[in-house]
Amino acid sequence: MSEKYTRREVLGHVARGTALAGLAGTAAILWTKANKTYAWTIDPNRCLDSKLGVVNVEYCELCATECVLTLSAVRAVNEFSRCGRCYVCPAYYKITSAVGPDGLPTEKVCPRDAIKREAIGWIDPDDPANNFYEYIIDEEKCNGCGRCVLECKEPAGLGSIKLEVRHNVCLDCNRCSIAIACPEDAYERDEPSAT
Amino acid sequence: MADETTVMEFEAGRSIGGKGSADHQFAEALRGIAVSPDGRIWAVGDSEVKVFNKEGELQDRWKTALPGYSVAVDDHGRVWVGEWEQVEIFGPEGDPVDTWTGAGRLGLVTAIDFGAEDVFLADASARWIHRYDREGKFLNDIGDRHRKGGFHIPNGVVDFAVDDKGIVHVANPGMHRVERYTADGELLGHFGRFDGQDPAGFPGCCNPTNVTLDASGRVIVSEKAGPRAKVYDPEGRLLTVVSDDSFDPAAKNMDIAVDAGGRIYVVDTVRLEILVFVPKDEGASG
Amino acid sequence: MRTLARLALLLVLALSAAPALAQQIDYERQVDVAPNEEAVGEGYVTPEVQRPRPRAAMWRTVDVVLLALAMGVAAWLALWRRKRAWLVVVSIACVGYFGFFREGCVCPIGSIQNVTVGLTDPNYAVPYYVIAIFVLPLAVALFFGRVFCAGVCPLGAIQELMTLKPIEVPRRLDKALGWLKWVYLGLAIYYAVLPAVDRDFVICRFDPFVGLFRFTGAAWLLIVGGLFLVAGIFIGRPYCRWLCPYGALLSVFSRYAWKSYSITPDRELDCGLCNDACPYGAIEERRAVRTDCFACGRCYRSCPVDHAGDETDRRSAA
Repeated sequence: MSEKYTRREVLGHVARGTALAGLAGTAAILWTKANKTYAWTIDPNRCLDSKLGVVNVEYCELCATECVLTLSAVRAVNEFSRCGRCYVCPAYYKITSAVGPDGLPTEKVCPRDAIKREAIGWIDPDDPANNFYEYIIDEEKCNGCGRCVLECKEPAGLGSIKLEVRHNVCLDCNRCSIAIACPEDAYERDEPSAT
Repeated sequence: MADETTVMEFEAGRSIGGKGSADHQFAEALRGIAVSPDGRIWAVGDSEVKVFNKEGELQDRWKTALPGYSVAVDDHGRVWVGEWEQVEIFGPEGDPVDTWTGAGRLGLVTAIDFGAEDVFLADASARWIHRYDREGKFLNDIGDRHRKGGFHIPNGVVDFAVDDKGIVHVANPGMHRVERYTADGELLGHFGRFDGQDPAGFPGCCNPTNVTLDASGRVIVSEKAGPRAKVYDPEGRLLTVVSDDSFDPAAKNMDIAVDAGGRIYVVDTVRLEILVFVPKDEGASG
Repeated sequence: MRTLARLALLLVLALSAAPALAQQIDYERQVDVAPNEEAVGEGYVTPEVQRPRPRAAMWRTVDVVLLALAMGVAAWLALWRRKRAWLVVVSIACVGYFGFFREGCVCPIGSIQNVTVGLTDPNYAVPYYVIAIFVLPLAVALFFGRVFCAGVCPLGAIQELMTLKPIEVPRRLDKALGWLKWVYLGLAIYYAVLPAVDRDFVICRFDPFVGLFRFTGAAWLLIVGGLFLVAGIFIGRPYCRWLCPYGALLSVFSRYAWKSYSITPDRELDCGLCNDACPYGAIEERRAVRTDCFACGRCYRSCPVDHAGDETDRRSAA
């Protein structure tokens, strides 16, 4: 055909235009929502390690073992404002272990030694039991195994330590392997509580 | 001085109350008990005072304005109930006599006991004990000079008992000890240490949670997280473990009381019942 | 000043098993079970609990930029430069980056599901970079055809590198199997539209190649992936031709591509020398079928016009 615009060309332009419009429209709809981030979060009321009313259980280690990453994206997190800052912390020390000469238990709970204990505030040089202690979890060592979470749970502790997904590490897999393995269905894609 | 050669043993007796909606049961909470000289048991929880006789039968009940956290019966038979920011005083039949707010000084009153002429109110918000005279005039605080800004109570209650010499025995759970103060607030001494294996020690992060005294001055404590009740002599030597398996594992802050016959009453805060422990040789103790 | 916002922990202590508190009393002054800053003293300030934001935008942006770049390069190579060798290089690079380094996730194929969920579920938002990854190859397909398949998609690229001794699949069988793509697309959308409790990301679940990229996964799926690769030696790109749901979308979008593939760089000779040149059955009646053509560049070699300037060809033609 010798016309300037063949029918085929016009059809092509229209088709491309429509398809582009469709794509742009879809993208626009999704774009407006995209400022919210949805990431995998753990519900502490369902997680076996922090669920209230479940006593005398073994800790659940799936958060540490199931993640596709070598070092799981789950960490134990200590909510400092709710921590008792106790001299003897049941999540730091294995309180059923023998007591050493300093009056403190000799064994620790964390198998990777990821919790650091330091005295805070005004320090009494004569009586260490008179001080408050901060328990800080080292995120490079913690792998989310949940032992400390279980030990901190009420009534033994105040439940200030919980397992959380670290969103700067988590790949946000559509099929989170921990979510699938969790026996309590504690994983949900939700807006993470941001600082 | 207690007779250390007597091996004290207790056996579980009845249980009073329980969780439920019947008259003698508790619906949501059971927090404080007291035993009056005539052997009756006074319990607060929900927003009620319930009175039981020695056999565990409900004898009386009346409502309180707020949920009660502690209860004590003075020598005039008046019933004092510790609540949030106030103390309600009732007559023996439940007729309201007075309400103290301490002009805003009071927080959560978790224990009440009496000296010869004064009243001691444990305040879990301030984390120390207020001392008032019987008319309601504030005298002084006990434990406010404590280095940790009060008693270290991650468990959430302050519990104490006053002996017949007017010495206040307070549980300081965060420091794993029972402390003794004069009524003016001067620290006389303390006993107890942390130990997760030895039953004579106080395990966990914060124990003992509650304390009371029997007629001979023996100290009876209750603990959480592996809940149990134990008896120490006044010098702090462990005499016996009353029980370590009768309570719900999640029970915490179990109030205790002891009657003239040496029977120990412990509140199970999860099952909402009062467990009675009877000394095996009931006659030799006390 | 006492810190604010402590829950009534004391009530929870007494009713530790009950999830709902019976009497909600508003405390202004809380029971201090955790020590406040004043009690600790010496200017102590309660440390902030760090709550890191989702993954650094940097890597995600790099992914999107590299995706666009790779498609641009592939388009240039396939449509203008017309050199297969360099397309192979692009394939290897993309398998390395998008496949083994980024472990095949996030990919546009899977993004179909995320986009579906994002459009239908108000409780889900598709992240910016996933929108970009979904839209870009489709938009590019509108102008340059299935450039994404040319060597950018890691799943396609790894199969492309395995197409060594391709046999011809009978046309009718090829067309029939091609419908499976649409079935898969339909299933993927169906399972994505389900409410969150029943939802399943089937494309992610049954991706035969991501396990190979990660060196871990369900045993049966790894075996299937291996079989696909082995089969791919003889049957060119079976997943791409018959199963890929994104390929179904791309075939629609590339239908009216502005610049489509032509086997000849210049004029059509209609000599038919290219007829058997395509391992993927994308040549029909001496023309490249733009909806199926993966722009692998194998057919260029068979076109005499491409080699019109070559020494060897002139000598052999003589």
